Amino acid sequence: MVLATLYIMWCTAKNRMRRRLSRLREPRYLIGAIIGGLYLFFALYGRTRPRRPPAGVAASPGARQAQRVIASFAAAAPSLGGLALLVAAAVSWLMPFGSGLLEFTPAETEFLFTAPVARRHLLFYRLMRSQWAVLFGALVMSLAYPIASIPARIRGLIAVWLILMTAHVFFTGVTLSRPQVTRRSTTSRGLARGMMTVLFAALAVVLVSIGRHLWAQPILTLRDAYQVVSAVATTGTPHLVLLPFIALVRPLFASGWFEFFKAIPVALLTYAGVIAWVLRADEAFGAMTEELTESEVNRPTRKRPAYQVRGVGWDLALTGRPETPFVWKGALQTFRIVDRRVLIRIGVMIAWLTTVVALFGRARGLAEAIGLLATLGAIFAGIIGPQIFRVDLRQDLQHLEVLKTWPVRPSAVVRGEMLWPAAVVTALTWVFGAVGILLSAATFSTTTLSVRIAVGLAGMILAPALVIAQFTIHNTAALLFPAWVPLGMGRPRGVDAMGQRVFMLGATWLMLGFVVAPGVIVGGIISFAFRRLVGWWILIPAALVCAAIVGAEVLMATEALGPAYERLDLSSVERGD
Amino acid sequence: MAISVQQLRRTYGAFTAVDDLSFEVARGEIVGLIGPNGAGKTTTLRTLAGILKPSSGRVVIDGHDLATAPIEAKRRLAFMPDEPHLFEYLTVEEHLRLVARLYTVQDFDRRAQDLIAELELTGKERALPGELSRGMRQKVVIACGLVRDASVLLFDEPLTGLDPIGIRRMRDTITRRAKQGAAVVLSSHLLHLVQEVCTRVIIMAKGHKVADGTVRDLAARAELATADSNLEQIFLEITGHAPQFAPEKRD
Repeated sequence: MVLATLYIMWCTAKNRMRRRLSRLREPRYLIGAIIGGLYLFFALYGRTRPRRPPAGVAASPGARQAQRVIASFAAAAPSLGGLALLVAAAVSWLMPFGSGLLEFTPAETEFLFTAPVARRHLLFYRLMRSQWAVLFGALVMSLAYPIASIPARIRGLIAVWLILMTAHVFFTGVTLSRPQVTRRSTTSRGLARGMMTVLFAALAVVLVSIGRHLWAQPILTLRDAYQVVSAVATTGTPHLVLLPFIALVRPLFASGWFEFFKAIPVALLTYAGVIAWVLRADEAFGAMTEELTESEVNRPTRKRPAYQVRGVGWDLALTGRPETPFVWKGALQTFRIVDRRVLIRIGVMIAWLTTVVALFGRARGLAEAIGLLATLGAIFAGIIGPQIFRVDLRQDLQHLEVLKTWPVRPSAVVRGEMLWPAAVVTALTWVFGAVGILLSAATFSTTTLSVRIAVGLAGMILAPALVIAQFTIHNTAALLFPAWVPLGMGRPRGVDAMGQRVFMLGATWLMLGFVVAPGVIVGGIISFAFRRLVGWWILIPAALVCAAIVGAEVLMATEALGPAYERLDLSSVERGD
Repeated sequence: MAISVQQLRRTYGAFTAVDDLSFEVARGEIVGLIGPNGAGKTTTLRTLAGILKPSSGRVVIDGHDLATAPIEAKRRLAFMPDEPHLFEYLTVEEHLRLVARLYTVQDFDRRAQDLIAELELTGKERALPGELSRGMRQKVVIACGLVRDASVLLFDEPLTGLDPIGIRRMRDTITRRAKQGAAVVLSSHLLHLVQEVCTRVIIMAKGHKVADGTVRDLAARAELATADSNLEQIFLEITGHAPQFAPEKRD
């Protein structure tokens, strides 16, 4: 199985490279690759050289301060890292998604599930295949490691790789164990419940200890928070329960090779323990593989759909604007993939986050904490939402064969595809924004009411324009560089894909700057001209003008994208790896 | 003519999938498109459906050039691919409704009901594609193609995944639609089906049209105009595979 796995890995890498190199014959991809490559080179090159002051020159005050901070952090770092791992491990049980390690492609299912290999070997195969991605992730992290020598970077690479691999395998175990927790039979249920109980008990011990500290003395600053968490993680029972997690992160904070080699065996032992736990869940893995094999062979009814039929109270009318069917389609997709369990888990996470923030900000009240969270949420939704919520052409490129046969103007297709996700992200931004404005008296107590309302409303007016502008840019990229867009729910992996994503992200921000610039300039001039006359309220008409200009640009852009959609060819769309 | 293809050429990089292909299909005609794997049949059908852009040449659907008036041309087209592409989150009924909206179908409810009954999808109206078998999904694709009054029907391996009853019904449906005035182009490796339902056959090989005519015409050309000659023999003879595939007959 090892040789077969290596053979598949070699062929995949070779053929993928060949395909991507052949794509560079197109000028647009060649230029993109050069820019992406240059960005990666300059972004990483600086970090590979340790920054030391020249001989005879004393370190700068900034560098000395940084060294002092790092030295003070070094003592508590393994314990804090261990605590972070514990929290992540506990949260992973609540995550509404599964481990990528258990996602077999149709080809893998066809060839490997029918091959005479043991079930454990299939898991082993996926572990091997995931090595490249994990190793690459570790490489990036070690390159980004601040102020370190080459040996420290090598140690960092090994340590991060170990942590990521353990996390990877652990999450696989969690994915396998989750359904076992509620089952009636078997050893798997015992293993699943056992691990879950131990984990949450450990978390409870730590949280109770933190709670005691908070009760005794509320936290006012970040420094206070750091001191409380360090004190809890480095002493008493919480430190004891954190030991396995601390063991895993300790090599990362080793100051030399001796300390590193001393820490590595225990970390490897932890890794081995996690592997043993996952392989003991053999029964669960067997059930999963059998279910998968059966559904792939027979295809029909037993395969559990990712979507669930549920009415959204909207029957598509048989006449109307050409964009509406796309909006309807997007709405159905969104409401059908979100099930109750997902909502409960998200609710639990939000409640947990709110409680933590509220506890930390007890001195200044719950309203301030929620207000701050809501304001940050609005900014996050408006800026990151369009990148995450991809219910538009980025996902629908996989249905291009169907879309292309429809008698709809290309610009209407592009607009229709963007409208629903833009509406959802805008609604989310507005909800967070409204809460933020309502509680702004607590959050921004030094600002006057009129300023808070004027700024808040201006932000709410600008939100849809900024959101739709971002969706336009993302969909433009999908039409112009279809091979770089992750298709459907999949995401391409590897160095070039990472480079492309970085490049695309940078290009998106740059493009957004260009798109909003005219509106911002005109809005700025209006604000500047009438500010003294009207006060901060001038921000509202200025935002309206800015939003109108951006909206007009979006409309023009979607019209201009028609020919690009027409030219878009099925053969240029690449499936995710 | 319902379909007019003039000097169609389609390339993928350096590879030419279809070259210098010209043919016409009149209303009421059923044209079978056959050829070995890689002959260019699917590329031809996808180009006719507007999915692929021709590298050169012209495709006219019911008088509307696919390049200059794509919306009018596509409004008259129904393409049923061999691989059912469905939206995983829409039910069977919703797929039909979506198509009805896009093509402005009148009297949708009655049509949808009739089609669901005809294609034996009754009881599956609220099922998602993930809950359907391969054959059922193929039927949904066919229903989406037939729910509107398309004057040009393009079928790419329409019987893949269908059971014997489904195959018989599909055959009858294709014939009936042609009789009602639709122009049908049908690509299939099931040569007995092509011989049975098609009024004309186009044989393709390596991207070129190598023969075009009725089965009788093709038999005459292949010097196989005997009483028991069938399309399979004609196909093997014309595409030059006869010695390899039928050595006994030659002996």
